[in-house]
Amino acid sequence: MHRSGRFYIYISLALACLLAFTASIAVAAEAKRGGTLRVAYGNKIANLDFHTAPGYEMMWVAMNIGCGLVNITPDGQFVGDAAESWELSDDHLTWTFKLRDGVQFHDGTQVDAKAVKFSIDRLIDPETKSGMRGFYAAVKEVEAVDPLTVKVHLQQPYAFFLHMLAGYRTGLVLYSPEATAKYDVNDRKKGKAGAVVGCGPFKFVEWVPNDHLIMDRFEGYYQKGKPYLDRVHIRIIKDPVTQMAAFKAGEIDFIASFTPEHVGTVKAQNPGVQVMTGKETTPMVAPMKVTVPADGKQMSKERKPHAVFGDIKVRKAVACHGLNREEIVKIAFKGAATPWIGMNPPGTLDTVNVNGKCPYNPDKAKAMLKEAGYGPDNPLKFEVITDNEKAVFNIIATVIKDQMSRIGAQVNIKLVDKVTWMNTMLKDGEWDMYVEDLLSLLTLDSNAYLSVTTSSWNGARHTDTHVDDLYAKYAREMNPTKRAAVAKELQEYMVDKLYWNTVSGSPFYQIAQSSVKGYTFNAEFEVHFENVWLDK
Amino acid sequence: MRDYIIKRLFQMIPTIIVITLVVFAMMQAIPGDPIISLLGDAYDEEDAEKLRGEYGLNKPIYVQYFRWVSKLMRGDWGESILSGRSILNDVLIRLPVTIELIIVAMIVALIIAIPAGIIAAIRQNTWGDYTAMSTAMIGISIPDFFLGVLLLLLFSISMNGFLPSSGWVYLPGTCPSVVCEASWWGNFKHVVMPAIALGVGRAAILTRLLRASMLEIIRMEYVTTARAKGLGERLVILKHALKNALIPTVTIMGLQIGFLIGGAIVVETLFAIPGLGTYGINAIIARDYQQVQGFILLVAISFVVLNFLVDLVYSFLDPRIRYN
Repeated sequence: MHRSGRFYIYISLALACLLAFTASIAVAAEAKRGGTLRVAYGNKIANLDFHTAPGYEMMWVAMNIGCGLVNITPDGQFVGDAAESWELSDDHLTWTFKLRDGVQFHDGTQVDAKAVKFSIDRLIDPETKSGMRGFYAAVKEVEAVDPLTVKVHLQQPYAFFLHMLAGYRTGLVLYSPEATAKYDVNDRKKGKAGAVVGCGPFKFVEWVPNDHLIMDRFEGYYQKGKPYLDRVHIRIIKDPVTQMAAFKAGEIDFIASFTPEHVGTVKAQNPGVQVMTGKETTPMVAPMKVTVPADGKQMSKERKPHAVFGDIKVRKAVACHGLNREEIVKIAFKGAATPWIGMNPPGTLDTVNVNGKCPYNPDKAKAMLKEAGYGPDNPLKFEVITDNEKAVFNIIATVIKDQMSRIGAQVNIKLVDKVTWMNTMLKDGEWDMYVEDLLSLLTLDSNAYLSVTTSSWNGARHTDTHVDDLYAKYAREMNPTKRAAVAKELQEYMVDKLYWNTVSGSPFYQIAQSSVKGYTFNAEFEVHFENVWLDK
Repeated sequence: MRDYIIKRLFQMIPTIIVITLVVFAMMQAIPGDPIISLLGDAYDEEDAEKLRGEYGLNKPIYVQYFRWVSKLMRGDWGESILSGRSILNDVLIRLPVTIELIIVAMIVALIIAIPAGIIAAIRQNTWGDYTAMSTAMIGISIPDFFLGVLLLLLFSISMNGFLPSSGWVYLPGTCPSVVCEASWWGNFKHVVMPAIALGVGRAAILTRLLRASMLEIIRMEYVTTARAKGLGERLVILKHALKNALIPTVTIMGLQIGFLIGGAIVVETLFAIPGLGTYGINAIIARDYQQVQGFILLVAISFVVLNFLVDLVYSFLDPRIRYN
């Protein structure tokens, strides 16, 4: 045979082998249909009215039973859900969404422009009392142009409209107008059969509060062939040791939120376990109260400076130079978090590292306290309130107490339960500093909910409307470069004023058995099971 | 006897009324309200005020109390503020699970306590006595939750799921929801660890008590007489002495049921059991007043009724006791 002929034969054989190998991989990776994904939640599902119920656990159910217009990928790209395309008008005041044809709610009705208008209007209506309402402040009107076209008219440009629809809390969860009219809100809250209707990959079957929730594959889901799973069985297992035992025994496949302090143990106990995490998007904070009611009435608009932290020098001494964030992270998170002072945690869009503005310097902190009138004869005294939702809060409070003693300050720790903490913080009660981790932040914009002067969650009760202005400017700026500059200005301003005091990022972990395939980790924002399959 | 039963039944009413008052007052004294839990991370002061109005939480406390009691008289236990579900329905679904857990825990306690107490008494100041008493002291000292964690580590984690770590399999025919497992064997496997965790502490207390009363009884003249009649030692101990020695034990058992319900809260949470304990603790954490009140009311009624039944058992154990 000719030499070049043999060459071609070898090449052909090699290609054939490569093809066969690739095909074998493809077969091995082909999703299997069927099975039940057994999921553990560490906290209860509050109720099943997705537009009003609180908590991540409810949101993660809503994301699988419900569908929206768009979703967001871990790298920040938008992908269509019920919407197949979308565009923004040149004046940035109108979003036009083209809906997919044939998307159905679980009750058989169509997901059309009227359903989208109905859902957004319902969220905006103050009578609904939805926690999402504030995020829709820019929306002027929703218009159903034709069955598959819907326009959302805005009062002013809103750069994060798609982010909000995709991943602020639940994002937009579409409701079937027929089902909503047929059942009242209490029926939905308690999960009455037929009342919880979505357009997502799984349909609701049963919910027993504090015990389990079942959802089954929706055969009419618009993505043909999906979801792969027959059923998702969510169990509430609060104790992390019990979660680990159930995981080790193979009783559960997926832990939706796992405590950071047990990650090492679960890895050691379960070779092959999938431990999923990413850049922190939740801030671990230790804010200080800036103002208190001047007339003694809680939530009063008449404010005066807080006796201790009303003075910026004291805030700076304590939170800027007195806190050793590296040490806190080392002790509380075994080093598995990022020391951080910026309001935006490291994994949030437009985050800026402003740690350099607050280097740990106990001598400087002491000098600043002296300047503020505190010293050995008149030591600074304050209380840190924290709650028992996560053990790490108390650990951080204890480290803070120790660090404060190094600058001559005396700290008392008050440990309460979550509702007591919320009651104290949200209702303008008496507290000096608290330790907690707050909502996960997809963008800096989503933090406005927690820190503008008018927010109930502005626990520090600062009254600086310049913060509100910067948030508004940031949200309306459509040029990404200019927007990043505003974000930087806002984050630096918050550190300068210390209305907000981040200690570190708060790491988020999800755990899965090696047999769980197809899951995409996207922090707390998107927990979807339509691509998940079991390799058993 | 009939008059006694009727009298005792009537005596229960003020007890239960006082309990409802105390529970209601205590719930009001705890900081926070159910609206904070209901709104959670979506809390907004304006929405919260509206909701407090809708649920009548801004009414004076006495109005709220009488409204609740009047509904209760009509058989309406109300609905959970958080989940909107019927409280009576939910507690009745969960009650059998907790009752089963408590009964099995008590059986575990008795299986350990009766032989240990007898041996410790009849072999006083021997190694048998010392071993039983030392073990009892350890049993009293170990909290339920800690023993539960040890059992989990041993039987679930170290033994690769030999016993299930959590959840519940119902007895056949008792499944309360659409999706749940029911089997005798599955139920046994799920109840055994929590029942041991709950029962060991009770066993320790009962062992010490039974030993003390057995020591007193076996020195009494009628026991000496029984022996003098030529009865075998086993018959003397088990029939003549044990029956009387059990009277104080039964009293304490009745009181222990209250502790078992308290212990069930911890053990059910640890083992993720869908019983009354987890229902109660979640209600307290969420400040779901209606739910807490329903839970406490049911526990109080159970406690009062069980103690009443314990009193009736006395007459069986000691025929000299008559309730007239």
